Amino acid sequence: MVAVALLGAITHQTLATWATVGTRPSSFFGRFRSVPSARFADAVVVLYAISILLGGIIYLYFRVDIRPELERAGHWPALGFFDLKEHFAAIGFALLPAYWVCWRRPRADEPAQTRTMLTSILAFVIWWGFLTGHVVNNIRGFGA
Amino acid sequence: MTLSAAFRRFAFAFGTTFGFLYVVALAKDLALFTVFPSLGIVLAGTHHSRDVADPAMGFLAPAMYWYGWAATAALGALIVALVAASLPGRSVRNFWSGWVWVIPILSMIACVYLTLPWFRL
Repeated sequence: MVAVALLGAITHQTLATWATVGTRPSSFFGRFRSVPSARFADAVVVLYAISILLGGIIYLYFRVDIRPELERAGHWPALGFFDLKEHFAAIGFALLPAYWVCWRRPRADEPAQTRTMLTSILAFVIWWGFLTGHVVNNIRGFGA
Repeated sequence: MTLSAAFRRFAFAFGTTFGFLYVVALAKDLALFTVFPSLGIVLAGTHHSRDVADPAMGFLAPAMYWYGWAATAALGALIVALVAASLPGRSVRNFWSGWVWVIPILSMIACVYLTLPWFRL
């Protein structure tokens, strides 16, 4: 539930950030832009922190119960993708303070590019984690 | 110096430094601590199962380094960020704010490079 809420919030914010200013207000992206994106920042920070905390706890069980099975079955690329998920999640977590500052305490002379790129990096990290987690979770069903 | 300005410098310095230090910790295997979840113990520093047990028995005590790598990077980034926050605003005026997203992207690319061996097995 936390991951899905996080996914929704960051996806909405990222699309709204990338949508061009000239988008028609009645269009799909126009409606995205009409929602104040800054309001998502607090939710994204809290949900990301909860997700990484819960993920860090579950990871202990994954390492003992799941990963040895995947190693025995030779799912090396899947383990590689999972390792990248860990690395990206850690780097994304460290960006949360800067991301929050850019959205909630923006400075007039600060380029919007910084906020856009931080949001996009977080969106990439969150989507990567979500998709990789699901693939690894379901991998035993592949080819069965 | 306002609290907001100091926190801004802290946040940008932390985000920028963490990615770089995380890659260093990953490449050099510098975990602040190692977790052995099946044994329920945490040891300071980097410890490999093969160092304390027969390599063939390593699966009985799998080691986890991710927490330790992240802690190493977080500690280093925290020190840099605190120094940045304590500096007067004019001393960091020339700091390009774009580093806060360029360095993490480069760090993620470096992580992909360091993870490539998994895809060659």
